[in-house]
Amino acid sequence: MTHDELEESVPLYAAGALDRIERQALEAHLLSGCASCHNALKDYQSVAALLPLSLSPTKPPRSLKATIMAGRNPAPIPAEAVPNEPARPSLEPGEWMNHLFPPVAPARSLSLPWALGLATLLIVSLGVYFAWNVSTQRSIDTSNIKQLEASLQEKSAKLADVRREVGDQAKALAELRNEIQQRTKEAAEAKEQLAQREAELEETRVQLIEAELEETRVRLSQRGSARTVGTPQDELATLLRIPNVKAVSLAGSDMAKRAAGFLLYDSRTQNVWLYSLNLPESPAGTTYQLWAIHDKPMSIGTFQMDTGETAHLLVKKVPSFTKAKTFAVSLEPSGGRPQPTGPMYLLSRS
Amino acid sequence: MDNPSQHAASMIDPTLLARVVKGDQQAFSQLYDHSSTLLFTLAVRILGNHEEAAELLQDVYLEVWRKVSRYDVGRGTPVAWLVTLTKSRAIDRLRARASRGYRGTNSLEAGTAVQVADPGPSPFEMQADQELRIAVGAAVAGLPQAQQQAIELAYYEGLSHAEIAERLNQPLGTVKTRIKLGMSKLRDGLQQWWNHGELQ
Repeated sequence: MTHDELEESVPLYAAGALDRIERQALEAHLLSGCASCHNALKDYQSVAALLPLSLSPTKPPRSLKATIMAGRNPAPIPAEAVPNEPARPSLEPGEWMNHLFPPVAPARSLSLPWALGLATLLIVSLGVYFAWNVSTQRSIDTSNIKQLEASLQEKSAKLADVRREVGDQAKALAELRNEIQQRTKEAAEAKEQLAQREAELEETRVQLIEAELEETRVRLSQRGSARTVGTPQDELATLLRIPNVKAVSLAGSDMAKRAAGFLLYDSRTQNVWLYSLNLPESPAGTTYQLWAIHDKPMSIGTFQMDTGETAHLLVKKVPSFTKAKTFAVSLEPSGGRPQPTGPMYLLSRS
Repeated sequence: MDNPSQHAASMIDPTLLARVVKGDQQAFSQLYDHSSTLLFTLAVRILGNHEEAAELLQDVYLEVWRKVSRYDVGRGTPVAWLVTLTKSRAIDRLRARASRGYRGTNSLEAGTAVQVADPGPSPFEMQADQELRIAVGAAVAGLPQAQQQAIELAYYEGLSHAEIAERLNQPLGTVKTRIKLGMSKLRDGLQQWWNHGELQ
């Protein structure tokens, strides 16, 4: 290979494009001390080292640094303590590099004894350095470990505190929960009692009203059969205070436009009260008849309207008519009829 | 961290490496911060995947820490040494992989993908790096496509000129010329950087 050929291979060498034989040839040439090739190579190698800067930077994973820092142990070993590295990778800059740039590696030109003496001295001094280095490193490591242990203990203590605190809080929480459950139970009981009391109260009220009614009735019977407007008013007033009384109002038909009435039904006593107003006098041989109509009319009772009478109260016991929605009063022959036959005088408003 | 160029890969001080050699943990941590993005980018470009690149970086840094490979001021800038070391180890892996018959995702496409997925300026990419990055990017982009391709095949895929010629189905001489011309243009385009002492 001529010098020109070798010099031409320098940029290829720097780019990494030479095969092994060409590489070795150039390295041998460089070892021979060719200055122009040295300088050319230095420039091209600087160029080659810059090439990765043309790539868009990719950051290594965050964890990599920690991995590397952790992987440094065992403590650093001086290069000289490592035996000749077996089979140096092919692209590592060759040994010739040591010759390229002073002041490195003068050893090759020395005679063997010198070299041996120097090497021994080097090994001894390196041994001392290494021992010092290792002991320094070890003491640093020991103090580091102590620090770490101390901080670990501190952390453990803190953790125990936190755990205890959490335990206390959990206990307090459980107590609170129990208390809430207790209160909820008490509240439910109180509510139940209240409902019971209300029911009792209701019962008492109804009993009271019934007693009043009974009293009124007694008074009525004491007064004989005389029907006056005044006394039924008391009864009505009493009746109206019973909460579950059903009330139906009735209006006069074309036969008696001024007539009106209302009907009360007390489901507890199964009594029907019809209070009618302004019905015309029922002629002799006739009677008014009250009907409850559900599917078909059912007679509830009959009553007369005497001369000069404007209001009339009919009280009848009827076992089951809660289903009836319509009520009517018709004028029938005396004694009444099983079905209405005469004209209607009063009709419930639907 | 008062000096804005402290994290610039191109500005790594040789004394930092000297401290690393002495087992200075802080110096080692700084060295990592300065150089890891550049080296990882390179490793990803060569190996084509992040996991393997991370493994490689681990090997490289531990090699530096354990002084298996030692920096020598005479060999150029610290970053040039780290780049050469990383590239050399990555190409070794690539070849080991090829000899096992495994053809990974490494290809020009993978490299292109890396370039497209621009993560933006990293916190470690300081102004000194940015300027240099722009200069190198411009110099590389200024090359004819064929020269750029030949250099990238050698540099990132570890192919010899004969292998490149075969891959591209071009005469050997043509490939050699492309690489020589391309490298020469890059040198001329970037010479100002070391003439100005930026990289010395």
